[in-house]
Amino acid sequence: MSAPESEKQPIAPEPAPVSATTPAPAPAAHKPAASDDGVAQTFFGEPLVGFDPSEITGSLVVLEGMDGSGRSTQIALLQEWLESEGFAVQTSGLRRSNLVGKDIDELLAKNAVTRLTLGLMYATDFFDQVEHRILPALRSGTVVLADRYIFTLIARGVVRGINRDYLSGLYAMALRPHLTFWLNVRPETAFAREFKKAQAISYWEAGRDMSLSHDLYWSFIRYQTMIQREFEVMAKRNNFIELDGEASVPAVNKQLRQKIGESLGIRATKYSPSAALQHLWR
Amino acid sequence: MEAQETVQKPQRTETTKSTLPQPGRPIPSRAYPGALIVVEGTDGSGKSTQLYLLKRWLEIGGYRLHFTEWNSSPLVKSATRRGKQRRLLTPVTFSLLHAADFADRCERQIMPLLQGDYLVLADRYIYTAFARDAARGCPPRWLRNLYRFAPVPDITFYFRAPLEVAVDRILSGRPRLKYYEAGMDLGLSFDRAESFKLFQARILEEYDKMVESDNFVVLDGTLPVNKLQKQMRAIVAEKIDLNRFAPRLEVAE
Repeated sequence: MSAPESEKQPIAPEPAPVSATTPAPAPAAHKPAASDDGVAQTFFGEPLVGFDPSEITGSLVVLEGMDGSGRSTQIALLQEWLESEGFAVQTSGLRRSNLVGKDIDELLAKNAVTRLTLGLMYATDFFDQVEHRILPALRSGTVVLADRYIFTLIARGVVRGINRDYLSGLYAMALRPHLTFWLNVRPETAFAREFKKAQAISYWEAGRDMSLSHDLYWSFIRYQTMIQREFEVMAKRNNFIELDGEASVPAVNKQLRQKIGESLGIRATKYSPSAALQHLWR
Repeated sequence: MEAQETVQKPQRTETTKSTLPQPGRPIPSRAYPGALIVVEGTDGSGKSTQLYLLKRWLEIGGYRLHFTEWNSSPLVKSATRRGKQRRLLTPVTFSLLHAADFADRCERQIMPLLQGDYLVLADRYIYTAFARDAARGCPPRWLRNLYRFAPVPDITFYFRAPLEVAVDRILSGRPRLKYYEAGMDLGLSFDRAESFKLFQARILEEYDKMVESDNFVVLDGTLPVNKLQKQMRAIVAEKIDLNRFAPRLEVAE
C-alpha cells in the first residue's frame, strides 16, 4: 500500500494570516494533534475523536471528478473486479448517511438553505459515513471505494466564497485516502454526458444558486470550470492521480486497475465486466 | 468584572456588496451596527431566567430586539431527533449538527438583524459548543475553527454556579434525564444522575477556561434573582448604547 506523504499539510493552501480579530486563540494548553507519524499519515490534521490509526487494515480509494466525469460507472466496475479478486468492498458517497442524507436531499429540493449551513450539513453527512461506514470497513480489511470525498466538498464551498482555510480545518479529522484519483474532463464533455443521462441539467449541477448566468449551459460551464480550478489547486498537495476522463470507459478502468492493483498487490489486472455490467463498457 | 471598552459601531448604510467578512472569518463586533448580548453557563445556572428578565425589561421599554435560542431551528430538528433516538450521534457528528443549526440561525437571523441595527439576545452561543463538545473530547482547535463564522458578542454573561447547586436544580425539576443530556454517550457512569454530574463538571471546567480568553462577564448564579438582574441591567446599560435601539418617537405633541 503506498502511503501518502506523512508530512502534515493543509488540504488546500491558503496564504491568509490569522486575523487579529479572531474571537479567541485556541487554548494554549492544546497539544499539537499529530504527534506521531501514524496519526499524520492517517488524518489530514486532528485525529478523529477516540480512534486509533493502527486499527486500519483496509484501503481507502477515492474517485473525484465533476458531474459527468464517469466516477459512478468506474466504481461499479471496480467493485466487481475487486470482488472477483476476493476483496471485500464497501462504497461511500455524498448524501448517503443515515443521519442526514435524506435531510440534505430535502434541503436541496426546497432550495431554502444558505451556503454555510448546507456546507455543514454535508460535513455532518461526511463524518457520519466516516464513523459508521468507512472506518468500520477499514478496520475489517475492506477496500472502501469513495464516490467523491472532501475535495469536492471543499471545492464547492470555496467557489461559494467560504474561506479555504476554514474548510481545510473543518475536514482536518478526515482520513487521508490511500489513493485519490481525479477523473478530469472538460466541462463541455461533462455537460453532454449529464444531459444525455437525464435529458436535463439540475439546479445544483449548474451552480444556479451562484447567479453566474441566466443561461443554463453557461451557468453549468462556468460553475464546473470554477470547481475544476479548485481541483487543480488541491491536486498537487494531495497526490491526486489525474486520469483523462475523456478517454473510453475501458481505458480509464485499465489505468485504475493498474494503480489499485499495485497498491493492493494484485498482479494480474485483466478484467472484463460480467453481463450485468456489460452496458457500462463502451 | 472587567470594563470592556464600548465598541464604535458603524452606521446602517446600504451597500451593494456585503461588507462582512466571508464565512469562515470571525466577524468582529465593530463590523455590525447592532449589538449582541449572550448568556452562557451550565444547565441550572439561572442564565435563561436572567435573560428572560432582561428581555422583558427591554421589551417593556420598547427597544428593537430579537431573542434567539441554541438548537431551535426546524432545519436540523428531524436529524437531531433521529440521531438521538437511534443513538447514531458521535462527538463529531453531534458537534457538526449543532454547528449546521447555528449557521442557519446565524446567516438567516442573527447576522441580518445585527446588520439591521437590532439588539440580539442569545440564550447560549458558540461557547456552549466549545464547552460541551470539548467535554465530549472534540479537539478545541477544531471547534474554534468550526465556529469561526460567528459574530463576536458585545457582552457575554457567564452565570457561574457551583456544580452541586446547578445539578440539584436540574435533578429536582426533571423526572428523567435524557441520554445525551446526561452525557451517557461518554460512558462515564451507568447511572444517569451520576453521569450527568460528571459531565457537567467537565463542562464547568471548560467554561472556566474561557473566562479570560473570551472576555466573559462572570456573574454569581447563586445570588437572588432580582439582585442578579439588577447587576445584569446595569452592565448592559453601561456597555451598550441603548438609545440606538430605543423606539423612534416621531410624533411629538
